[in-house]
Amino acid sequence: MKKLWQISILFIVSVLVLAACGSAQSDEGGGESGGAEGEAVKGGEIAIPIAADPTFNTWHPNAYAESNVVNRIIFTGLTKPGKDLSPSPALAEEWSASEDGNVWTFKLRQGVKWHDGEDFTADDVAFTFNDLVLDESLGSNGASNYKSLEEVVVVDDHTVEFHLERPWAALPAYLAFNSEIMPEHQLSGGDPWDNVEFNKKNPVGTGPYKMDTYTSGQSVSLVKNEDFYEGEPNLDKVTYKIVPDSNTQIAQAISNELDIFVMEDKSAIERIESSNDLEVVAADITRYFWIALNQEDERFTDAKVRQAFTHAIDRQAIVDSVLQGYGKVAHGPITPDQQAFYTDEVQQYPYDVEMAKQLLSEAGWEDSDGDGVVDKDGEPFKIVFDIAIQGDLERIAQLVQQYLIEVGIDVELNVLEWNAMIQKNIIERDYEMMLNWWSYPTDPDVYAQYGSENAGTGNNIPGYQDAKLDELLQQGQATSDPEERAEVYREAQEYMAETLPYIYLWYPQELQLRNANLKGVPDTYFGSTLHYIYEWYLDE
Amino acid sequence: MKHSLSFSTIGEMTIMGQFLVKRFFQSLVLILIVSIITFFIMNLAPGGPSSMMRMDATAEERAAIAEQLGLNEPVIVRYKDWLLSALGGDLGTSLSSGQPVIERIMERFPYTFQLTAITLIISVVVGVILGVISAMNRNKWQDNLINFGSVVGLSVPSFWMAIMFILLFSVELQWLPSSGVGDSSLVDKAKSMAMPVIILATSTLPTIVRFTRSSMLEVINQNFIRTARSKGAREKTVVYFHALKNALIPVVSIIGVLIPRLLGGAVIVETVFGWPGMGRLIVEASQGRDYNLVMGVTVFVTVLVIVSNFIVDIIYSKLDPRVKAY
Repeated sequence: MKKLWQISILFIVSVLVLAACGSAQSDEGGGESGGAEGEAVKGGEIAIPIAADPTFNTWHPNAYAESNVVNRIIFTGLTKPGKDLSPSPALAEEWSASEDGNVWTFKLRQGVKWHDGEDFTADDVAFTFNDLVLDESLGSNGASNYKSLEEVVVVDDHTVEFHLERPWAALPAYLAFNSEIMPEHQLSGGDPWDNVEFNKKNPVGTGPYKMDTYTSGQSVSLVKNEDFYEGEPNLDKVTYKIVPDSNTQIAQAISNELDIFVMEDKSAIERIESSNDLEVVAADITRYFWIALNQEDERFTDAKVRQAFTHAIDRQAIVDSVLQGYGKVAHGPITPDQQAFYTDEVQQYPYDVEMAKQLLSEAGWEDSDGDGVVDKDGEPFKIVFDIAIQGDLERIAQLVQQYLIEVGIDVELNVLEWNAMIQKNIIERDYEMMLNWWSYPTDPDVYAQYGSENAGTGNNIPGYQDAKLDELLQQGQATSDPEERAEVYREAQEYMAETLPYIYLWYPQELQLRNANLKGVPDTYFGSTLHYIYEWYLDE
Repeated sequence: MKHSLSFSTIGEMTIMGQFLVKRFFQSLVLILIVSIITFFIMNLAPGGPSSMMRMDATAEERAAIAEQLGLNEPVIVRYKDWLLSALGGDLGTSLSSGQPVIERIMERFPYTFQLTAITLIISVVVGVILGVISAMNRNKWQDNLINFGSVVGLSVPSFWMAIMFILLFSVELQWLPSSGVGDSSLVDKAKSMAMPVIILATSTLPTIVRFTRSSMLEVINQNFIRTARSKGAREKTVVYFHALKNALIPVVSIIGVLIPRLLGGAVIVETVFGWPGMGRLIVEASQGRDYNLVMGVTVFVTVLVIVSNFIVDIIYSKLDPRVKAY
């Protein structure tokens, strides 16, 4: 009996000791959200989930989506997306282009301080672009967006000039998109990517929230920057909780542990709508889904074939089923959230099996041997369709496969892990047909994904090369007058709808899950709402 | 002068020494093989570090990053470099964070240790108790119930059970947090740990229950138990003192088997419950092709398993003099 007691005590003690070991570790974490508590306007704290450990430097090659949403409130850029998504003042108060469009001058805000008390100056802007973005050996994340930037010149402490190789009207919009300014005094000297102290532990920014504690794998706790240049933020604290599993994220939202995030799995929506504490907000986002037919493969160079594919796929049915109606059939790369540029008065491709078959036959593809698969010169139309494991992509690909089989195209699915897909499809361009999406700054400049010079190794994935399209898109880049620009892009949209460099699928909407008591959040896409986090508050 | 050593003769110490040396070299060879297999499989798999695998990166950006990360060398050269620096005690830096690999492991290891050690202790204590109850009530309802529970525990996938637990205890009843490690208070920690430990235990507890049960049944029919009974010892003394003491010896040996299983189970449990341990770290590292980190965690876990198995072997041979570890 005595032994039994001894064993029991040993057992209890060892459990307690082990539990205590860990508690010492997590003391510094401390970032547990109090959920939806809080006073009317000032005070309170919120929690936002992210999927993995962030890197606190926008330009770091390892700064992915989970880093972007954190960096957006620690740092600020020269511009930010306005509530109408057009570029608005942030660190820069005003800007203008030179007559020839080759130089942009930005007047910087005065009296802005970094979180460590140092003054923000034009040198920080020059450092960010000249030493981080334009240094090709660094391979900065997003540097390819600034291909036409030559250098940034400091005019005085509060004025900078962006010198360009060719006119680029979209510059202010690109500066609002993951282009935050980094502090020269913290990062200069030495390899900026090796600065673990800054990039992984104690970033210093100009944003509304500053670093409190970060525990790898658990959470990033930020506290308000009382000296923020747009005014003191309302919420005292913002915690990014690292929750990799999307089911767990939704469970935590229902139990009031999380306050706002984008719901990846739209099928959970019914469960959420029955909860009084949560609301779902659907927002347009600058993103479109597409299918690329490799232009190296001569079967796809005939526009009639691409048009046939577009008619063959019932895109509205996929939007209604897989996207639960949260999306719109696409007919070009310019998204409906860009109201000043978007037009749907272009050639349309409604679901029409007969039309698809007719277009295929005009292109020489007919089912001559009656086996259900169209053929040309004795070769059946067989395609391998590469698809990455990511969200709903597999499900969508299966539907597309069925639609194409219906018009006589033999499609075989080849499912790849994401990383392997990038290797095969994007780096080696070794594919026949693939499906993916583009997100880009809210500006109609889509030259990066369409320009002939970007085929092969750049972002022109299908490798579609067309001198007329190049010219139109370059004209759009060079024109800064809004009306003239709108006209150019209207023409470009008409042309792309006819020629179909990509098969356009849909413009998805983003579903945000929000704590119903969280107010002051603009009804734009989640990424852009974060630029206004200083206005958010908890109302109960 | 008193000897505190438990080894009776100098001869035994020499044998022990030889055994240790032999075991050490065997382990080194094993680690080497594991490292070769891991390194080559990982490097020959399609894809590369996440920083190079961004959808919108250009070929020039990818080339610049490959250069920075030293990935332009042939795989065999990179393995040689890795091995030489690992032998010198340096596991390199993580490709995804720039931190030393050992620092990233030590950030996460305490959490995995805590989770697996508590699960193991609870599995052993509860498992032995249930195993004895099962054996003593052979084919009665208690035995059947425990058996049923074991089958359910072993056969239901743990990720599914984990999500069901979250839906029940976090969403519906709101008793337990669905992820995280809780704050510093012990109660909070215990609450955060409850679900991960229970789910993780479902993969180990049934094994211990079954092992204890069969071991008890075997022992209970042996002559020395009959002798104890015939001497008039109380049934409880017979069961808990004479029988259990002997039945437990083989149970010790399966702990060695359970440790790798726990570490494997931690991968799923940590991901679902957002537990910041090594299991989640290796999932992230493999998806992001953080070659150095995957190698570091693999070697670390291999050493952990070798050492714990070694300890189990030693304990086993001390408990049962018939078994010689060396």
